[in-house]
Amino acid sequence: MTVGQDAGGPVPAARVRGMLARPEIGALIGALVVFVFFASLSEVFRSPAGIANWLDPASTLGIMAVAVAALMIGGEFDLSAGVMTGSTAIVTGLVATRLGWNIWLAIGVSLLFAVLVGFLNGYLVMRTGLPSFIITLGSFLMLQGLNLGVTKLLTGTVLIRGLADVPGYHSASMVFASTVSVFGGAFRVSVLWWIGLTLLAVYVLRRTSFGNWVFSVGGDVRAARNVGVPVVRTKITLFVTTAVAAWLVGTITILRLTSIQANSGIGQELIYIVAAVIGGCLLTGGYGSAAGATLGALIFGMVSQGIVYVGWDADWFKFFLGAMLLVAVLTNQFVRRYAEEAKR
Amino acid sequence: MEDISREQSDSSSLLQMRGIVKQFPGVRALDGVDLDVRAGEVHCLLGQNGAGKSTLIKVLAGAHQPDTGEVLLGGEAVKLANPTAAMRQGIATIYQELDLVDGLSVAENIFLGHEQATFGFTRRGEMFAATRKLLARLGHGEIRPSTEVGRLSPAGKQVVSMARALSHEARLIVMDEPSAALAHDEVTNLFRIIRELTSQGVAVVYISHRLEEIREIGDRVTVLKDGRTVAVGLPARTTPTATVVSLMTGRNVEYVFPPRPTGGFGDEVLKVEDLTVPGVVSGVSFTVRAGEIVGLAGLVGSGRSEIMEAVYGARRATGKVTLNGRPVKLGDTSHSVRIGMGLAPEERKAQGLLLDQSVARNITLASLGRYSRFGWLNRKLENAEAERLVKALDIRPPDPNRPIKTLSGGNQQKAVLGRWLVEGRKLLLLDEPTRGVDVGARAELYALVRRLADEGVGVLLVSSEVPEVLGLADRVLVVREGRIVHEAPATELDEHHVLDLVMDATPSHG
Ligand SMILES: Nc1ncnc2c1ncn2[C@@H]1O[C@H](COP(=O)(O)OP(=O)(O)OP(=O)(O)O)[C@@H](O)[C@H]1O
Ligand SMILES: [Mg+2]
Repeated sequence: MTVGQDAGGPVPAARVRGMLARPEIGALIGALVVFVFFASLSEVFRSPAGIANWLDPASTLGIMAVAVAALMIGGEFDLSAGVMTGSTAIVTGLVATRLGWNIWLAIGVSLLFAVLVGFLNGYLVMRTGLPSFIITLGSFLMLQGLNLGVTKLLTGTVLIRGLADVPGYHSASMVFASTVSVFGGAFRVSVLWWIGLTLLAVYVLRRTSFGNWVFSVGGDVRAARNVGVPVVRTKITLFVTTAVAAWLVGTITILRLTSIQANSGIGQELIYIVAAVIGGCLLTGGYGSAAGATLGALIFGMVSQGIVYVGWDADWFKFFLGAMLLVAVLTNQFVRRYAEEAKR
Repeated sequence: MEDISREQSDSSSLLQMRGIVKQFPGVRALDGVDLDVRAGEVHCLLGQNGAGKSTLIKVLAGAHQPDTGEVLLGGEAVKLANPTAAMRQGIATIYQELDLVDGLSVAENIFLGHEQATFGFTRRGEMFAATRKLLARLGHGEIRPSTEVGRLSPAGKQVVSMARALSHEARLIVMDEPSAALAHDEVTNLFRIIRELTSQGVAVVYISHRLEEIREIGDRVTVLKDGRTVAVGLPARTTPTATVVSLMTGRNVEYVFPPRPTGGFGDEVLKVEDLTVPGVVSGVSFTVRAGEIVGLAGLVGSGRSEIMEAVYGARRATGKVTLNGRPVKLGDTSHSVRIGMGLAPEERKAQGLLLDQSVARNITLASLGRYSRFGWLNRKLENAEAERLVKALDIRPPDPNRPIKTLSGGNQQKAVLGRWLVEGRKLLLLDEPTRGVDVGARAELYALVRRLADEGVGVLLVSSEVPEVLGLADRVLVVREGRIVHEAPATELDEHHVLDLVMDATPSHG
C-alpha cells in the first residue's frame, strides 16, 4: 500500500510522450531510416553530388506538399494542384513566346492567373458547400483539357519551346532555375525556395492568427464560426496559396527546361497528398504539419534517386512510395495512441 | 432600500429580449420569448429538454438570427448579426456543445478569433501569460497553456471554454449547462467565479437542469415551455420547487425514485476480481447480481468511470472479469457487446452520434443485429422498438424519423442513452445517465432503468449526483483513488456520509 505513488513520477515520461505525439514524428523516423538505408548501400547517395541530386525532385514536390498540407489542415483538398503546375507554366510560355513579352511580365500574368484559379476554386467550394474534392476535380479536368487544347491550337504541337530566346530569360532563370555549387554538388536554387517556404509555413501555421484559423476551420468549422474566425476568407486564402505554389513550381519547371509539355504536372496531385499524409496530415482536417509534409517530400526524393543509385529497377519506385506511406501512417497512429495513453 | 431599487426593472435592465420568434423547418423553437436580465445578477433559464433555451442563447450569441423580435442592450436596440458582433457588444457564450478545436492548444483556443497579435503575428508570451492567469483564476493552474485541447478531459474542456468567455471582458456571460461536465467540487469553484463576476457587475445567464444549483447561485428565474416564456423574473431562492417544475412541464411530476424490489436478487451477473488499470484503478473486486443496480460513487478522477470502461473492455486492464460465469476477454469491446454488455459512456456526444441519421437509427444502431435476418433489416421491427423508446424516454418532438441533429442537446442525449436500454442486454453500464436530462424525463428514465433491472438485467451506475446514486441504486460502492473504500446498501447511507467518504474527510457523525 504505497499511498500517493502516482503523485510525482510519471510527469517527465508524460512529457516525452507528449513530444513524441507530434504529427511529423512518423515522417521524421521514416526519413532517417530511408537515408541510413540508402546511404549505407551507396556511396554516391551520400556524396554532395548525390545529395544535390535527390534534393532536386524533393524541392519541387516539397513546395507543393507544404501548401497542400496547409490546405488539408484547413479541411480541404485541391485535385487541380498538379495540373496547375502545368497550366501556369503554359500561360508563362505562351505569353512569352507568342506575344513576345518580357519573361518577367509573362510570369506576372501567370501569377494573376494562378490567383484567379485559386480564388475560383475556394469561392465555389465555400459558395456551394460542395466537397472541395468534387469542385477541384472539375477544375482539374477543365484545366487538363485547356492545357492540351490551347497549346495545340496555338503551337500545332503539344510542346511550347524557345523560352531561352525571350527577353529577361537570364535574370529570371537566375532566380528560379540556377544551380549553386557547394562542395562539388550542384544544388538547384529551388532547394532554397523549398526551405524558405517550409520555414515560412511552419512559422505562419504555428505563430500567427491566420495559422490558428487554419487549424480551427479544418478541425471544427462550427466552433470557428462561433468564435468569429473569418472562415470563408481563411479557406479561400488557402486555395489561393496552393495555386500560387503551383505557379512557383510551374515557373521553376519552365525556366529550367526552357520548354513545357501540355500534359506537365498531371497525376502529381496525389503525390502531394501522399507527402502531406506521410507528414502527418489527417484527411479529415484540423491536424498536420508543414514540416512533416516537407519530410514526406524528402523521403520521396531520397527513394526516387536512391533506387537508381543502388542499381535497382526504377519500376520499384511506386512500390516503395506506397510502403513508406503505410509505414509512416501506422507509425503516426501508433505513437499518437501511445501518447494518448499518457493523459489517462 | 435595495429592494426598492430592484423593483424598477426597466431602468436597471442590461439586456432585454422581446417577442423573439425563431422557426426551424417543422418546429417553432421560439414563439415569442421575453427575457430581462439585470446587471450583476445570475439569471437562470429553466425549461424542459427542447423548450428552446439553447436556441434563445444562440440568438443572443449571434449564431442564429431571429425571425422577429428585438434585442436591447442597455436600453438600446442592437442587431447581433454574427458571433463577432455579439462579442463586440460584450456578450460571451459558453455553448452546450463545447466549441473547442481539438487540434489547437489551450491558449490558442482561448484566443481563437481574437488573437493578441501584431500584424498577424501572435504574441505568444502574452497569450500564454494571460491564459495562465485565467486558468489560475478558475482554480486550474495545472492546465498548461500549450497542451493540445484534444487531450483534455471533458471537465478540462469545460474549464477552457469558461476561460475563453472570461477572456472577453464581457458584461454578459451566457452559460448553457456549464455544470453538466463538472464534478461536485468543480461546481463549487464555478459558483465562486460566478459570484466574483456578478460582484463586478457582470450579468450571468445560467442554464441548468439541476434545481439545487439554481437555488444556490440564481437570483431570478425565467421559465420557458415549448418556445414560450411562461414565467418571468421569479425569485430563484424562494419559489417552491413544485411550482417551478409544474411551470416547466405543465404537469405535476413526482420527483421520486422507483421503488426497490422487495424480493432478493438473482444470480451473479458480473464478477470482477482484482481489476487493475495501471495508474488509475488498483485491485478492485465486486459483483453485480441479476436485477440489482449497483452505484459507483466517487469524484471525477477517482477511477469510477475507468472501472466501468475496463469492465467493458474499452481500456487496457488486468484482472478477472466474468459475465454469467463466462470469462470476459479484457480489452475487447466487441466481445463484450456480443456476450451481452452495454455501455452508455460519459461522453455520449463523442460516442458516434450519427448526426444526419434519424433518431430511430441512432437508437437501434447498437442492436441492428436483432432486427435483421440474413443481413436484411426488418424496418418495421426496428421502428417499433425506436418508437417505444422515444415514448419511454420522452424524446421531443416524439418523431423517430427526424434527423437527430435537429434535436435539442438533452434529447440527443436521451436518444444515445436509449441505444443501450433496448432489451437483450445482461449487464448495463451507465455512466452519468441523466446528464443534461430535464427533471420530468429523469423520473421516467429512472423508472425505465428499474424496469430493466426487474426483468433481470444487472446495472452498474456512475453518477456525480450523490442523491441519484442513493435513490436509484440498491448497493453503493464508494471509490476513492482507484480503490473501493466503502460498500453498503443504499438505504444505509446518506448524502453527507457519502460525500465525506469520497473526499476522504473523517466521517462526521452525530
Ligand atoms: N438546427 C435545428 N433545426 C431544426 N430544429 C431545431 C434545430 N435546433 C433546435 N431545433 C429544435 O428547436 C427546439 C428547441 O431546441 P433547444 O436546443 O433550444 O432546446 P433546449 O431548451 O436547449 O433543450 P436541452 O435542455 O435539451 O438542451 C427543439 O424542438 C429542437 O428540436
Ligand atoms: Mg440546450
